[in-house]
Amino acid sequence: MKATRVDRIATFFFWILGMISVGILFIIVGEIFARGLFIALKPSFFLGKPEAMKEGGGILPMIVSSIYLAVLTLLISLPLSLGAAIYLAEYSRGGKITRFIRFCADSLSSLPSIVFGLFGLAIFVVRLGWGYCLISGAFTLALLNLPTLMRSAEESLKSVPKTYREASLSLGASRWTTVRQVVVPSSLPGIITGTVLSIGRIMGESAALIFTTGTFIRKIPLNPFQTAAPLAVNIWYTQSEALVPDYRNIVNGGAAFLLLMVLVVNLVARYIGKFYRRRKGLS
Amino acid sequence: MRIRFASRIALGMIAVLVAISISLAGCGNKQGETYSGTVKLSGSTTVLPLALEAANRFMERHSSVTVDVQGGGSSVGITQVKEGVVDIGNSSRELKKDENDGSLVDHKIALDVVVVVVHPDIPVDNLSKEQVKDIFTGKITNWKEVGGPDAAIVVVVRDKASGTREMFDEHALEKKESAKNAIECNSNGLVRETVSSTKNSIGYISLGYLNKSIKAVKYNGVEANLETAKSHTYTLTRYLHMFTKGEPSGAVKGFIDYVLSSEFQNEVVAKEYIPMQSI
Amino acid sequence: MLSISGPSLFIKQAMDYLRSIRKRELHIKVLLMICASVTFVGLLLIFIFVFRESLPAFTRLGLPNLFSTHWNPDVSHPEAGNYGMLPFVVGTLYTTLGGLLVGAPLGIGSAIFIDQIAPPKIGTAIGRGIELIASIPSVVIGWFGLTLLVPMIGRLTDTSGFGILAASLVLGVMVLPTIAALSLESLRALPSELKEAAYGMGATRWQTIYKVLLPAARRGVLVAVILGMGRAIGEAMAVQMVIGNSRQLTFSLTNGTSTLAARIVTDMGESSGVFRSALFAQGLILLILAMLLILTIRLVSREKKETVR
Repeated sequence: MKATRVDRIATFFFWILGMISVGILFIIVGEIFARGLFIALKPSFFLGKPEAMKEGGGILPMIVSSIYLAVLTLLISLPLSLGAAIYLAEYSRGGKITRFIRFCADSLSSLPSIVFGLFGLAIFVVRLGWGYCLISGAFTLALLNLPTLMRSAEESLKSVPKTYREASLSLGASRWTTVRQVVVPSSLPGIITGTVLSIGRIMGESAALIFTTGTFIRKIPLNPFQTAAPLAVNIWYTQSEALVPDYRNIVNGGAAFLLLMVLVVNLVARYIGKFYRRRKGLS
Repeated sequence: MRIRFASRIALGMIAVLVAISISLAGCGNKQGETYSGTVKLSGSTTVLPLALEAANRFMERHSSVTVDVQGGGSSVGITQVKEGVVDIGNSSRELKKDENDGSLVDHKIALDVVVVVVHPDIPVDNLSKEQVKDIFTGKITNWKEVGGPDAAIVVVVRDKASGTREMFDEHALEKKESAKNAIECNSNGLVRETVSSTKNSIGYISLGYLNKSIKAVKYNGVEANLETAKSHTYTLTRYLHMFTKGEPSGAVKGFIDYVLSSEFQNEVVAKEYIPMQSI
Repeated sequence: MLSISGPSLFIKQAMDYLRSIRKRELHIKVLLMICASVTFVGLLLIFIFVFRESLPAFTRLGLPNLFSTHWNPDVSHPEAGNYGMLPFVVGTLYTTLGGLLVGAPLGIGSAIFIDQIAPPKIGTAIGRGIELIASIPSVVIGWFGLTLLVPMIGRLTDTSGFGILAASLVLGVMVLPTIAALSLESLRALPSELKEAAYGMGATRWQTIYKVLLPAARRGVLVAVILGMGRAIGEAMAVQMVIGNSRQLTFSLTNGTSTLAARIVTDMGESSGVFRSALFAQGLILLILAMLLILTIRLVSREKKETVR
C-alpha cells in the first residue's frame, strides 16, 4: 500500500520535471517571439541597413554575414570531415590510429568555444594577418564543427549494410569506387541531415566569433576577407554597446530572427531525415 | 543511384569560388572619385559612435572607399595603429610615455565630459569629490551616508581598458582601485542601461549618453554641461584623439579632414561633445 | 582494339591499368588520412597557440600574481597590474555547480519521464522539445536572462540581480538538453529484460526506476552530467550578460562576480600586452579543465566496459 503511494507521488513528480523542461523551451521561445517577432518580420528591419547612431536600423548585412559564414565554414569543414569519416569508417576500422583520432575529435568537441575564439584570434587574425574577417571566422568555426560533422558522417557511413560493399567489391570495383558510388550515396541522407544541423550551430555561435569576424558592419560583405558581423555576434554587440536609442528593439528583433532561422534549420534537418527514412522504408 | 558525389561537390565548390572571385572583381575601383581604398579604424568605444557616423557619411560621399570601424578600447587602437593593423587608432586618452615612440601623429577630434549618474529614484543631487571617491572605491556602501535612502549602493563601472574608466580612476578616484563588487560594463551605453534598470545604482558615462532614463548628479557642486566644461569649472574632462602612424595621406587623410571639418564637427560632434573649433 | 596488338600488350595494358588503380587507391588513402589527422593537428595547434600567447603572463608576471585573488589590470603599465584569476576560477566552478544543480535533476528526471512514464507520443514530443532547447543560441538565452531573470532576481532579493544565481539559472537551461539526451540514451540502451524482471518480481514503477534502472544506467548518466559540466564551464556569452562581471571572490548567490570565459569576453577586445596574455592564460586554464573532464569521461566509460565483462 505504501509502495504504491510512493510510486504515485514519484510518477507525479516526474511528470512535473518533464513539463518544466519543455516549459522552459516554451517560455524562452514564447517570450523572445512575443517581444521580437513583429519587429523581425518587418521588411524594413530584416532587409534594412544597420544604423550606427540613429534609430530605425536593420540587420540585412548581419543576416548575410551569418549565411555567408555558414557557406564558407562548410566549404572548409565538409570535405575534411567527410574525408576523415570515410577514412575512419572504410579504411581503418578499429586500430590504434582510429582510437587516437577519435580521442582527438572527442577532445576537440569538448573544448569551450571561447577557446576556439582565442585560437582564431591568435592564429588567423594576428599571426596570419587576416584581421577580423569572414575567412578567419570560417576557419575557426570549421575546426569547431569538425568533430560533430565527422561523427555524424561516420555514423551514417557505418549504417550502410556490409552487403552493399561486398556486392560492389565482388563486381571488381576498387575500394574508392565502392565508397564513392555505393557507400557515400546510400549514406547521403544522414550526411545531409548532419550538415544542415551544423548550419544551425554555426548561425547560433557567437563566442568563437567575437574576436574573429568583427561585430558591426553597415555594408553587406562580399569578399571573404572583409570584416563581417554575424547576427548572433551582432546581438551581443548591440546589447553590450547599447548605442542606438532603439537598441532594445534591434536586439529583440534580431534575437527573434536568429531564433527563427535556427528553428527553421532544425526543422528542415528533421524533415530531411524523416523524408529519407520514409523513402527507405518504401523501397 | 549514380550520383557522382565527389565531382558534384567539386563542381559546387568551383561554382562558389567563381562567384566569390566575380564579386571580388566587382568591388574594384570606380573612376571619378578622389579617394579610394580602405580606411581601417579601431579603438576607444567612446570614439566609436563618432567614427561610425563619420564612416557612413564619408562612404556616402566617396563610394569607392570602404571605412571599417571596430571598437576595442583605446589601448587596442593605439597598439593596432602602431602595428599597422589599422590606419587610425581611436583613443579617449593621451599617449602613455611608453607608448609614445614618436611614430604616432595626434589628431584631437573632440572634448569629452564624463558625468556621474544615478538611478532616477535616488534623491541625491550633488556629490562632493570625496563622496564620489568613497562610493566608487567601496568605502561608502549605503546611500544614507550621502543623504539618500537606507539602501546598499550598487556601483557600476566601465571595464578596465576603457579610456573613460582610466580618466575617472585618475581624476575622480585619484588612482585608487574601484570597489571590488562593482558591476563592470563594456560601454557607455551599457552603463546607462544598467544604471537605469538597477535600483540604487550609480555609475559614470560620457555626457553624450545622458538621457531621461537616468539622473545626472552635480560633481562637487558643479553641473556637467558644455559651458562648465569649456570654462574648466567642471573637471572630469578629456580630449578624444585619432592617431595615425606618421602624417596621413590619401583616403586616411581625407577621412580625418572630414572628421575635423566644420560640417561634421557642428552636425555630429557638437551633439555630444565640445567641437574643436569652439575651444 | 586490344586483340590486334597481341596478347602480351593486352596483359601489359591490363597490368598498367591495375597498377594505376592501385596507385590511385594509395593516393586517396593518404589524402583521407590527412583529412582524419586534421583533428589531431587542430587540437595540437590550439594547445600551441593558446600556450604561446599565455607564456608572457607566466614568465613576466609569475604564478603568484596569476593565481592570486586580486584582479586589477593596469592598462598603461601592464606589467605593474594584478592579474589574479582565482575569483574567476571560483566563479566558474561555482556557477557550473549551480547550473548542474538546476539542469541535472531536470535533465535526468525528464529522461526517466520520457523513457518510463510518459505515453509514447507525449514522450517523443517532450524529447524533441528538449532537443530544441540545445539549438537556442546562447546570446538569445543570455538576452532572455538579462531582460527577464536579472530584474526578477533583483526584485525578489532586493539586490542588483546580476550574479551567480542568474548565471546558474542560465547555465541550468543550457546543460539541460545535453544531460537529458545522454541520460535518455543510456536508459534506452538497458536491456528490456531488466525492466521486465523487476516488474515480474512485483516492483512498482518507482522501485524499478530507483532500484534497478538508475543503478544500471548510472555510468551513462554520470557521463551525461560530466558532459553537461563541460558545456557549463566554457559558456561565455550568456553568462557574461548576467553575471555582473565584478572582480570579487564571492560565495553569495546574489553577488556579482565573473567566470573565466566571461572575463575573457569582457576584457579581451580591449586588452594588450601582458593583460591580453593573462587572459590567454585564463583560456589555457579553461582548456586544461575541459581536457580533465574528457579524461574523466574516458576513465568512467572504460570502467563501464570492464564491469560489463
